[in-house]
Parts: sequence; C-alpha cells; structure tokens
Amino acid sequence: MSIKHAILGLLSKKPLHGYELKAAYEEDLVPATQLNYGQVYTTLERLGRDGLVGHEVVSQAERPDKKVYALTAAGRKELREWLNTPSQLDLDLRNETFLKLTLARRLPAVDPLDVLAVERRACFERLHEVTQTRARADKEDASLQTRLLLDLAVLRLEAFLKWLERCAEILKKEGKKR
Amino acid sequence: MAGALRRNSQKRGEETVSPAADRAVQVRGLTKVFGTGVARVTALGGIDLDVTRGEFVAVMGASGSGKSTLLHLIGGLDVPTGGSVHVGGEDLSKLDDDRLTQLRRRRIGFIFQAYNLLDVLTAEENVALPLIIDGVAEREAQERSLRALELVDITDRRQHVPGELSGGEQQRVAIARALVTNPLLLLADEPTGNLDSAASDQVMTLLRSLADERRQTILMVTHNASHAAMADRLLRLCDGRIVEQQTLPQRRSFGKVLEDLEAW
Repeated sequence: MSIKHAILGLLSKKPLHGYELKAAYEEDLVPATQLNYGQVYTTLERLGRDGLVGHEVVSQAERPDKKVYALTAAGRKELREWLNTPSQLDLDLRNETFLKLTLARRLPAVDPLDVLAVERRACFERLHEVTQTRARADKEDASLQTRLLLDLAVLRLEAFLKWLERCAEILKKEGKKR
Repeated sequence: MAGALRRNSQKRGEETVSPAADRAVQVRGLTKVFGTGVARVTALGGIDLDVTRGEFVAVMGASGSGKSTLLHLIGGLDVPTGGSVHVGGEDLSKLDDDRLTQLRRRRIGFIFQAYNLLDVLTAEENVALPLIIDGVAEREAQERSLRALELVDITDRRQHVPGELSGGEQQRVAIARALVTNPLLLLADEPTGNLDSAASDQVMTLLRSLADERRQTILMVTHNASHAAMADRLLRLCDGRIVEQQTLPQRRSFGKVLEDLEAW
C-alpha cells in the first residue's frame, strides 16, 4: 500500500503533525495496521524534498517544538492524479499453494489431491473466522472501513476456495484419462 | 439446568431404549434408493452422522450429491430405504404417522429456500400457524408468535402479508415460524438460495447468533462456501456418501482476526 499517498490524502483534509498522522492512518484510514514512526518521518522527509508537503514549526510550552505538515499545490495535484490512475493489482498468482501443487505433480510420493485437501481445510478455517468476524462487525457497528476490508477478505477466500475446487476437479479428470 | 436436561434425556432414552438421547440427531447406515431396475438411483449410500445439541452443522455437496435427501430423511419428510434416524432420542421408524407428525411439528423447525409462507396470512399469523394447528390457544399462540418475530427482529412488519415483504424479510418470518415451537432441531435447506448477498448475510448472521446465544441445533444444506464456513462443522457429500468432515475451530477474538488481516 502506498504510504506516500495515504499521507497526502490525510493531509488534504487538514494540516497534521507526525503523531496525528500515524493515529489517523491507523484509526480512520486502514484498519488493523500499524505504522511505525520511522516510516512516517522518512516518508514526510521525502515528500518535503519533492515539494509535495510543507511544514511549519510550532513551539509548545514545556514541550519540544513540533512540526505541523500541510499539503502544497503540487501535493494536491499528485494526490488527484494518483486517485484517477488505476492501481497495480496484486493477484498473488504464484502463491505457495500453486508451487506446492506443481511440485506435488512431479513427485511420485505425493498426491496433489492430498495437497489440495489440506489447503482447502485451512482455507475453510480462515473463512470461518473471517465470516464470523464480519457478522460481529455488523452487530457491533464496526467502522465502515473495517467492514469493507472484511468483505474483501471473505470474497478473496471464496475465490481461492473455488480455484482449489477447480484444481481438484481437473486433476481428477486427468487422473482418469491416464 | 444441564443436569436437568441430562436427566430428562436419560428418561426418554429408557423409554425408547436408545443410546442417542443426549444427541439431537443420530443417523446410522442411512440409505435411500429411488426407482427400480435400470431407473434405480442411490441417493444416499450409507450415512452415519451424529449432531450434538447446540451444534451448527453445514452440509455441502454438488447438486445430486444427496444433501437435500439427507435433510428430508432427518426431518421425517421422507422414509429411508434402510438405516435409522433418531431425533432427540426418538427412532423415527418406530413412530406411527400421528406421532411422526407431532414430532415434526413440535421438535423440528424447517426453513426452505422458497420460504413457504401462506400468502393470505399476515407475518404474525404465519408464525402462529404451527401452534394453532397443534391446538395451542389463540391468545398464547399470538404472544409466542410475537416473541419469535422479535427474535428475528421483524416485529414492525408483523401485520404485512408475504407479498408486501422483501425476500429477506419473508425468510426471517419463515425462520420465526420455524422457531416458534422452540424446536430441538432447525433444518435449513438452502436458506439463502433466493436472496441477494446483503439479505443472505443477514440470514446467516441470524442463524449464527441463534447457535451462539440460544444454543440452537442447526443442520443446514448449502452450496455457498462462506455460508457453510459459518457453521461449527462441515460435511461434504458426494454421490450419497460423506466424503469429508471438518470441525472448524473456536474463533479467536475479533481484534486478533483483524490484526491478522494486516499480514495479507
């Protein structure tokens, strides 16, 4: 995920200092993530160097000065362009299951259908957890971002399960031909 | 409470001389054959299954795998070719028609894909119907109907006839009707088959909370993987046999699952 653009997006609403940025990112933007301060400050430095973000030093009583960051006109333009550009979709095609399946077909001691069965059971366990968490998110009025993220998890797992089942069907047919 | 339940079921067990009393469902060697000669089709080829009280079990399988037949035999809607079905310790094959009807009406709640509500009755009347047929006084039937409608959160629509309700609302009324007798066992045959995804989720959340909060025993047939995954146990049927069983582990905390998503 692009932390750079997440920060630009958060600053487009109002100027924030480093700690506020971290909190807003974790609480409002991307649920269930943790951003470390190092990442936040390195990114802010780079954004400043590229002229996308400016800052102002605010002095505080009894505490060290803090830097409050704001978006520049160039930063706003960059954000808008990024929002209108299609994202790089990570389809995770060469995943570990795929590798195991391919290898299992070459090794006489392993039945690829057994590999698929193990994967399917694990996938169902995940789906069990995620669907129940999704149901609880509705009941407990969890944030919209949380619910949308859980929906994505459910649908991806469903798709992966379908693929596992398709693989099993095809392998069974191939086995009968031989 | 648990002790009282156990004593009760033991008593029932003695009456019917059955070892199945503490289980909601016990199925042994169940077979079902349709037709004869060349037209002979084995729908179920020997099923053994135990469902404990409070368990939520999902049955998956392709069309024609025998999953609906299994549900119908457990619900006493059809008669097996061989083997036995015990529900709440009662051997269905030992019951005469009247007692079987009574068991179906009082101890089993059915939910179907097509809701099967009566068009001319209001939601409240539909839900009260199983009680009225069973001879419960009208006033009491009405009160219990209202409580069941509260359970599925649809009391505001109780005066509407099915035609005035959405699919999801009709299915919730049908679930209330299935629950109104406080049944031992809830049998659901593709309960979300006719619903869009939002209404499906709502029905599944409802079934899950019935299992969690009321320890309602549920046996559900579905071919939707994420709906099946909401159960405690999965059975996979293929050509009339159970080819796979999987118990899904206790869930971890809400926060823990969310935290894990980060790693995806």
